[in-house]
Order: sequence, then structure tokens, then C-alpha cells
Amino acid sequence: MEISMLQSILIGLWCGVCLCGMLLGIYTNRCLVMATGVGLILGDLPTGLAMGAVGELAFMGFGVSQGGSVPPNPMGPGIIGTIMAITMKNSGVDVGSALALSFPFAVAFQFIITAVYTACAGIGEAAKNALENKKFGMFRFYSNATLIVFLVLGFIIGFAGAMSAEGLQSVISLIPGWLNTGLSVAGAMLPAVGFAMILNVMAKKELIPFVLLGYMAIAYLGLPIIGVAVLGTAVALLVFFYAGKGGNNNVEEVEVEFEDGI
Amino acid sequence: MASKLTKRDYTITSLRAYLLQNGMNYNNYQGLGYANMLYPALRKMYKNDDELKEVLKDNIEFFNTNPSMVPFITNLHLSMLDGGADPKEIKGIKMALMGPMAGIGDSLSQFCLAPLFATIGASLAQEGLILGPIFFWLGINICLFIVKMLMGGWGYRLGTSIITKLSGYMEQISTIAGMIGVTVISGLAVNFVKITTPLQYVAQVSETEQKVIAIQDMLDAILPNLLPVLFTCLVFWLIKEKKWTTYRLVIMTIIVGILLSVIGVLG
Repeated sequence: MEISMLQSILIGLWCGVCLCGMLLGIYTNRCLVMATGVGLILGDLPTGLAMGAVGELAFMGFGVSQGGSVPPNPMGPGIIGTIMAITMKNSGVDVGSALALSFPFAVAFQFIITAVYTACAGIGEAAKNALENKKFGMFRFYSNATLIVFLVLGFIIGFAGAMSAEGLQSVISLIPGWLNTGLSVAGAMLPAVGFAMILNVMAKKELIPFVLLGYMAIAYLGLPIIGVAVLGTAVALLVFFYAGKGGNNNVEEVEVEFEDGI
Repeated sequence: MASKLTKRDYTITSLRAYLLQNGMNYNNYQGLGYANMLYPALRKMYKNDDELKEVLKDNIEFFNTNPSMVPFITNLHLSMLDGGADPKEIKGIKMALMGPMAGIGDSLSQFCLAPLFATIGASLAQEGLILGPIFFWLGINICLFIVKMLMGGWGYRLGTSIITKLSGYMEQISTIAGMIGVTVISGLAVNFVKITTPLQYVAQVSETEQKVIAIQDMLDAILPNLLPVLFTCLVFWLIKEKKWTTYRLVIMTIIVGILLSVIGVLG
């Protein structure tokens, strides 16, 4: 499948905007969101959604910081991986192998972002000088400088990724069949890393019943996911309201305005 | 001293939390963004450019916290400043709040809300529903917007006495969100991690009859999704006990996946 110039530009813009979400804190720099956009632009929403789902879960664990280590960036699967999955759908690349193949890109992008933060260290000094000279407009510009760099950087990554899809295609067509199958198998296993990472930060001993509850709801009862969330909420609230009655930890009664959010 | 700021100024400052990280860098982290958040309110308070310059310079120093919790700090900062508190004292409180707010905010947004909405969204997307990404994006943003506004309001109204009460509230909310999150995530883990084996063997049922038995069927009979569960547990153990980094885990998974697929154990 060919990617037109217009599509490349759109992917570039989308990637830039999504990357900015990383600074704005609006969660657009997630695989799920990015892949959906790429799918829409390339006219293959189903593959975009499938890639977004798999990539989101595989990279979910990277969302939790682990003591200063730099996590791979979801632009890898979200942009590059989705481009691969869509354009090479007919040459044996499925979302699993696209996920595995896009991992090196995810690592490379994160190094670029670390480099940007480091390079931007100068804007602190520049902003101070601007203040010294009472140039408040300049100060405000510097305060948003990293965002502008991200926008440009995101555009370049998305645009270059889309433009080089053909080159990637010829490289990937060299991959032998057994390796491609292996990559698919590995790709389907990758979400385990994300889940385990998240469970590691969330799960305490006391939450083991909820792990079992979730497992049972899906593996045995086959509930849809919203059903699992409702079931989890019900049990969580039961525990919450009855905690301390008979136990020694007293939880004071408070109104929970949070539950509406689920 | 008459108060120079209105409720509107505090709301605007809360909304400017979205700009906190726009000047992110490895020198002063969110320092520039913090000063930029306060800028319109400070401009209103200090008509004199020299005063404004000094107070902004004072606030571009190192700062790093959670963007959803920061309105609490900025609005408390502004209301103390407006009330004529000593800037040194304000700075002390600002710096003292930075860490706890980051802790509460990160555990709420990154460890509870984001995984919860992401797993539900991804599962809907897996079924080919565009509702998935929309649900994820709207869900998390609406929640975090509400958090920002609540924080801004509390910061403006209350002094530091609220902190203990606040962390109590947040802890309870986090606990409940954690329970729901763990339920959903462990459910989906078994569903999303796909590991199956094509291995099979031929059993001699009787003298003349042979039966092909697939190992996968036996595993399913023991526990549904046994292999994904075991593999997820293995990864979990490697993280918890062996302190493996995510890089190592991903690379290990890719290598193991390819190897086992080549020798025909997994497929």
C-alpha cells in the first residue's frame, strides 16, 4: 500500500500533536490514541484499533516510572508500528510482529526525547535573562519552548516514518518466515510485561482477592470488560463500607465522589 | 491589604496547569512552567515591572510535581501571597508540598486511572470499536480535569491544615481505584496475553485405536489460560524479586518467543 504525500503530512501533524500531549498531560501520547489516528488517516481503522490495543497494553508498564530509567516511547508502536501493520498487512506482518518490530524505534525515540530535555536545559538560563531585561513576552515564549520543540520533533518522526514506509517494507520483506512467526508469538506475549509492571506497582497483598476476582470474571465467566469493572467496583465498595467493622483499621465514612468517573 | 485576586484568577491559574510542563528541561524541570502558570495572576498583583521580574525570577527555580495536583500548590501560593504572607514562608510550603503532591498525583493518575481506562479502552478497541480510544481519552481527561479543579479550589480556600485530611481522602480514593484497577487488569491480562502450544502426542487408546491429544486442550482443562497466567506470574516475579528492568523483560520476551516458536513449543 502506498502512502500519499498528504497522508504523510497528516501523520506528521498527528504525531506532533500527540507527542505534545506528553507535556500537556492530556494522554494523547498513548499507543491507543496515536494508532487510532494513524488508522483513520490511512483508511484502515480496524488495523489501527487492533494495533492500538496491543501496543497500549504492552507499553502500559512503561507509563510507570522506575527510578529514573528512561521508558521507551509509545510513538514506536503507535506511529511506526501502525504504519507497518497497515502497509504490510498483505506481506505477512500482523499486529503482533509489528509490535515487536517497532520496539527498537520506541527505544530510539525515547533517547531523542531525553536529548531534547537536556538540550532545553539552556532555556532556563535564557528565560532568566529575559526576565532580567523585563522582556516578559520572551519569558512566556521560553516557558513554552519545549512544547514547540516537541511539536516539530513529532512532525518529523511521523512524516519521516510515513515517507520511509516503502523502504521499511523492502527491509522487512527480507525477514524469513520462521522469524516472522516468532515475532508474532513474541508480540502476543508482550502485553504480559505491561500487565506485570502495572500489577507490581498496584498490587499489595490485600489486593490478591481482586486479582483472582478479575481472573475468574474473564476466564470462567467470560464477562465483558465493563462488567468486570462494575463487579470490581461493587466488591471494592463492599470492602470499603464494611472495612473496620470488626477489624482494627478504622476507615472513616466519607463520601466518594469518585465512583462516577468509572 | 485588600485582596487583589478574584475567584476567576484562581480558576485561570488552575487551568494553566496544562502548561506546567511546556518548558520542561533537565535544568529546572517544571520551574519555568510553574512561573508561567502564575504569570497572569502575578501580573495583576504587581503593576511594577521590577517587582514582577523579581517574583518571577524567584519562581523559575527547580520544581517538579504532578500536573494534576499542581493547582493546589499554585492557588495556595497565590492566596498566601495575596494575604501578605512572607515569600520565604510561601517558598518553604511550596517546596514541601512538591513531593507529597507528586506522590499522591502519580499514584492516582499513572497507577490507577490511566491503567484502568487504558485496559478498558484497549479491550473495546480490540473488538474493533472506535469507542475504545474515545472512552480512554475522555475518561482519563475528564477525571484529571476534575482533580485539577478540586485541587485548585482546595488550595485557594484552605491553608496547610488540609494536607493531612486531603491525603486521607486521596488515599481512600486511591485504594478503591486500586481495587477496581487490579480486578480489571488481572482479568484482561489473561485475555490479552496470548500464548498457546501446538504440541500434541499420540496416545494408544486400545490395541487398534490411536488418539491425538493436544497439550493445549489438557492445559485448558486444568485452568483456562494457564500459559498466559504462568508467564505473567513469571514476569511479575522477575520484576518483584529479581528487579529486572522493563528493557530486559521486553528483550527476554522477544527472544523467548522467537526461540520457542522456532522449536515448535509455542505457536
